[in-house]
Amino acid sequence: MRCNGFPILIALATLASATMPCDAAGFGTVAAIGGHAADIALDEARGVLYIANFTANRIDVLSTADNTVHTSINVSPQPGALALSPDAQYLLVAHFGYTTPPDSSENLLTLIHLTDNSRQTFITGDPPLGVAFFGGVPTGPGMALVVTTTGFFTLDPTNGVLSGLKTFANLAQTLPVVAPTFPGQILQTALTTSGDHMTIWGVAGAGTGNQVLYQFNARTGVLTPSVDVSSPALLNRVSVAYDGSYAMIGWAMFSSGALVARYPNVSSSTNVTGHAIDQKNNLIYAQIPDVTQPVGPPYTSTTTPAGSTPSASLPTLLLMDADNLTVRDRILIPEDMVGRAVLNTAATILYAVSDSGVMVLPVGSLNSYHRLASAQEDVLVQTTFCNRTSVAQTLTITDPGGGHTDFTITPSQKGVTLTPSSGTTPATVQVMIDPNVFQTKGTTVVSLALSSSSAINVPKAVRLLVNNPDQNQRGTVVDVPGVLSDILPDTARNRFYILRQDVNQLLVYDGATNQRIVALRTATTPTMMSFSNDQKYLLVTHNDSQLVTVYDLGTLLPVSSIVLPGGHYGRAVAQSNAETLVLARDESNGTGVIDTIDLTYRTSNKLATLGIYNNSISPTGVLASAPNGRTIMMAAPDGAVMLYSADANTFTIARKDFTSLSGAFAASSYDSYVVGNNVLNASAVPQGTMDSSLGITAGFAFTGQGGYQVEAAATSSAGVIQNLPSPLAGTVRPIPMSEAPILPTTTNAFTRTVAPMPSAGTVIAMTVSGFTVLSANYAAATAPPAINSVVSAADGSASVASGGLISVYGSLMSPVNIATSQIPLPTALGESCLTVNGTPIPLLFVSSGQINAQLPFNLAGNATMSIHTPAGISNNFNFTIQGTAPSIFMSGTAGPETGLATIVRFDNGQLVTPTNPIHYGDIVVIYLTGMGAISPAVDAGLAAPMSPLSFVTDTPTLTLGGSPLTLLYAGLVPGSISGLNQINATVPFGVTQGLSIPLVISQGGGSTTLYVRVVK
Amino acid sequence: MRTFGVSILLLAAASACCFGQQWEFGGLGGAGFLSNVNVSSTYGSATTGFQTGLAAGAFVGQNLYPHISGEIHYEFLQSNLHIKSGSQEATFSGNAHTVHYDIILHTNKKGSRTQFFVAVGAGLKIFRGTGTEAAYQPLYQFGYMTKTQQLKPMASVGAGVRFTLANRFYLRTEFRDFITPFPTQVIAPAPGTKFGSILQDFVPMVALSYEF
Repeated sequence: MRCNGFPILIALATLASATMPCDAAGFGTVAAIGGHAADIALDEARGVLYIANFTANRIDVLSTADNTVHTSINVSPQPGALALSPDAQYLLVAHFGYTTPPDSSENLLTLIHLTDNSRQTFITGDPPLGVAFFGGVPTGPGMALVVTTTGFFTLDPTNGVLSGLKTFANLAQTLPVVAPTFPGQILQTALTTSGDHMTIWGVAGAGTGNQVLYQFNARTGVLTPSVDVSSPALLNRVSVAYDGSYAMIGWAMFSSGALVARYPNVSSSTNVTGHAIDQKNNLIYAQIPDVTQPVGPPYTSTTTPAGSTPSASLPTLLLMDADNLTVRDRILIPEDMVGRAVLNTAATILYAVSDSGVMVLPVGSLNSYHRLASAQEDVLVQTTFCNRTSVAQTLTITDPGGGHTDFTITPSQKGVTLTPSSGTTPATVQVMIDPNVFQTKGTTVVSLALSSSSAINVPKAVRLLVNNPDQNQRGTVVDVPGVLSDILPDTARNRFYILRQDVNQLLVYDGATNQRIVALRTATTPTMMSFSNDQKYLLVTHNDSQLVTVYDLGTLLPVSSIVLPGGHYGRAVAQSNAETLVLARDESNGTGVIDTIDLTYRTSNKLATLGIYNNSISPTGVLASAPNGRTIMMAAPDGAVMLYSADANTFTIARKDFTSLSGAFAASSYDSYVVGNNVLNASAVPQGTMDSSLGITAGFAFTGQGGYQVEAAATSSAGVIQNLPSPLAGTVRPIPMSEAPILPTTTNAFTRTVAPMPSAGTVIAMTVSGFTVLSANYAAATAPPAINSVVSAADGSASVASGGLISVYGSLMSPVNIATSQIPLPTALGESCLTVNGTPIPLLFVSSGQINAQLPFNLAGNATMSIHTPAGISNNFNFTIQGTAPSIFMSGTAGPETGLATIVRFDNGQLVTPTNPIHYGDIVVIYLTGMGAISPAVDAGLAAPMSPLSFVTDTPTLTLGGSPLTLLYAGLVPGSISGLNQINATVPFGVTQGLSIPLVISQGGGSTTLYVRVVK
Repeated sequence: MRTFGVSILLLAAASACCFGQQWEFGGLGGAGFLSNVNVSSTYGSATTGFQTGLAAGAFVGQNLYPHISGEIHYEFLQSNLHIKSGSQEATFSGNAHTVHYDIILHTNKKGSRTQFFVAVGAGLKIFRGTGTEAAYQPLYQFGYMTKTQQLKPMASVGAGVRFTLANRFYLRTEFRDFITPFPTQVIAPAPGTKFGSILQDFVPMVALSYEF
């Protein structure tokens, strides 16, 4: 170490790390201006932010270099709005002089020429409320759009000509106002120009009932107004996409004249709201008053001014998808956003009007700050009749930015052990449950709360699902995180569809494997699905979007959506042979209405009447289509039932025989209907009730004249399923399910939770953890299972080894086909578990004829295997476990070729085949199983560690055409389950060339041989 | 490539033995039209070989006798590998290098304004597959196009005419046929298939030369 540069480098590195924000206490800084900021404008060319200090009558100039106010420009009273010309030559200030008594001389505009600080003033007469520049592309100053209490004007900054554009009454409060009233409440107007300066979006009358939204097209000079009614009303915050194609106004997003999305969890506020759109990254940064906003001690930041008001609700910045407002993360910020927010051009710094003045948030550096997240949304822990002892799963805690962040994880109830319960990311936490504490026969939901002293985000809690069924309970639980709102079977395509509300997704599942095919994006808060009349499309309604999204079921891609009439938000959709109906909530009067939609022309219309009845119903009702398309039933929580007849093309029945209705709903092709426990006839007249002694009916699906009924006493109890020959058949062989179906709630009175899949021979029930798969003949008595053979899962050879992956062939081993990607591997899958010498072993896949599993590492020699299913226990199957029995997986594919050996050329990452032969000097990577003991040891069913690597203890030798290969690595595949082995080896020069050269792997007295092509 | 370099050295040494005689040096360009070979297979019929490509090279000649000259030639041939069956064709980048020594028989004395000549000779040809290998190639059931190289002996025959452009400057056009065994390592027959054994490369060329 003679070079003196080394300690200097260390010193520099130390200095650099000390200046990194990674260990900073908080995210963002606040510049207090000693007044109420009404508007801001960013001048990147000069490195300053102009702040309209409404109450101190000045423009404060904040340097973006150090985020402090260095200078101020004194101006006329009440600067309420600012706009910077596109060429950054002019700053236009609107002064609000709406006073009592009136003084029109105080209503004026100040045009500041920034190159020489000269000023011009223009008396507007009426109070100016907002200003925005447009045009000026590429280098000119453009024109300004000025909004006053009486209309819209244009101002040419080069000659000072103010011209009337449209007369229009805008609201504002006169001064003085009662304290505290904030500038936004006084002005009630905001307008913003798109990044390309060609579109202005605005809102007038913000915070009141009927609000005017407008869009100004700079190319045509046309101003297009529309009326919106939202509850709570939209505050006057407008942010616009760069190309002007959509805008966020208040808590809602608009595009092409429609409200396409709005934030679902909004709460009312007079002042808190702010946002900015980063169109390039499809992202919206926003603070919206939020019923789910975290609470706690006030946020601490070294830059927060002393004396700031502590808040019970912690201000949080939402990072949301720009199409459907799905929340990606929540970041704690110093104080509330209470006005305009602007992003710099690089979209790395967000400036926002805030309580103290202006808040500066370095949103482009989020990865430099500590954040906390769980890699899994849910952890499902299941005990089985094979294994009643304490069972465990793992959970990975990370910092999304890759940093090392402290964390603490806390369960919401006893009986859960988390190891470790605190530490530093990245970390793997073992979740163990005590079965003695969880004695309910269904699923208990436990919340695992994540917290950190250094993380700037609000991490989502992890949902721990503890399922503890008895042997007589049927069904395989498949975990689907989130809030699920609807399920629909597609028997023609052997699929089923599930709506996930919290992240706005349509989940498509394969009925044969019950694996997810794809997750499609929906609009905001999807509520219900229906097929189109030709069964080619799937329609989805949304609680927080006027859109009915449409999906092509052939391509599984979204196609053009349908916009419901203004103010209508779809709660339910159903199709018939005549019309497709949507039950929508009409926000203008709070009632429910029936709209029709035309899929051909992508239009929708509110029905004038429902036959002889008013088109005014409950806004929280549902619709159910009869499979033959002849009728649609409407049911409402207030007890109302209506029937639409496709033959008459109108509503023909309306009754109210109940004081309330909730639970299951379904319509048959045989003129009978189910609502809750009630069975109705063709005239919607009650005919009787279904058996409800076993719980609340949460789902019913007709199959012919009968159907499947699912019910449960409580969310944490076991569910019950019955296959009824008729809804009025009474109790017919009720069979307990592994967990309860999703039950109705006060906010979601009706539930559709059953999807019969005759093409797959299964019934899917939407249940607490996600869904439960039952065999269609779940109630039939079955014979005990049988085992015929045990072979290597890699190549089907008879030799199997300790820790190796195996395939077990037999009969009646599982009523359903289920695979898992869960790690650690479960020791019970579906309704089956496999024991070797009496101990359950990890499972990967179960079906009637085949089970894939992993042998434990601690077993060798003669062994006994048996399989347990609800129908009984198989006879013992005797076999021998070798110490080592290497076998290469024959599961590779290349084009139409299948069953290829999993030998990969390192340099191109492709399988070795005759067209991708081994060359001299190549490194080959071979995937196999059965290489026996490893060091450091990893238990069967667990993932192999990335570091340190686990090596096989019995080193193999490899030859190619008789020449030895240089062994680089032989051990577990890092990150994969511990039954999967990997060998890396180098091919020497001079190996025999040819089309079929033997590659021999020898280990522990055994060997396996494959033939490969070798060229120079 | 080492064999190829040795061959050039040997041929250069042979030509040096004739030092003191009249020499001619030239550059040539043209195109190579390779014949395809038939593939017989249980999967059906196909053809394989090399696609038409540009050719370029150089030569050094010496007048040995009034009607006989000797020339050493080098040609680079851009010729991609291919297999074709019906309307489906699979290709793979490739090229070839040739070096050969030919005896030139003139129709009249050197120095005449127009000369007709025939050439016959022998040499070596290196076939090279240079494409990107992949686990799956279309038409792999017939053969495997491979990133490797293979040296083959080559016979060269041809004929042409030489025109005098100016004092010591000549333009000549000629047509050559380079005949080699099929390179079965560069395009390897799949098991159960059989390739034709001889490959011909028909190369029309134009050359400019200078005599000194």
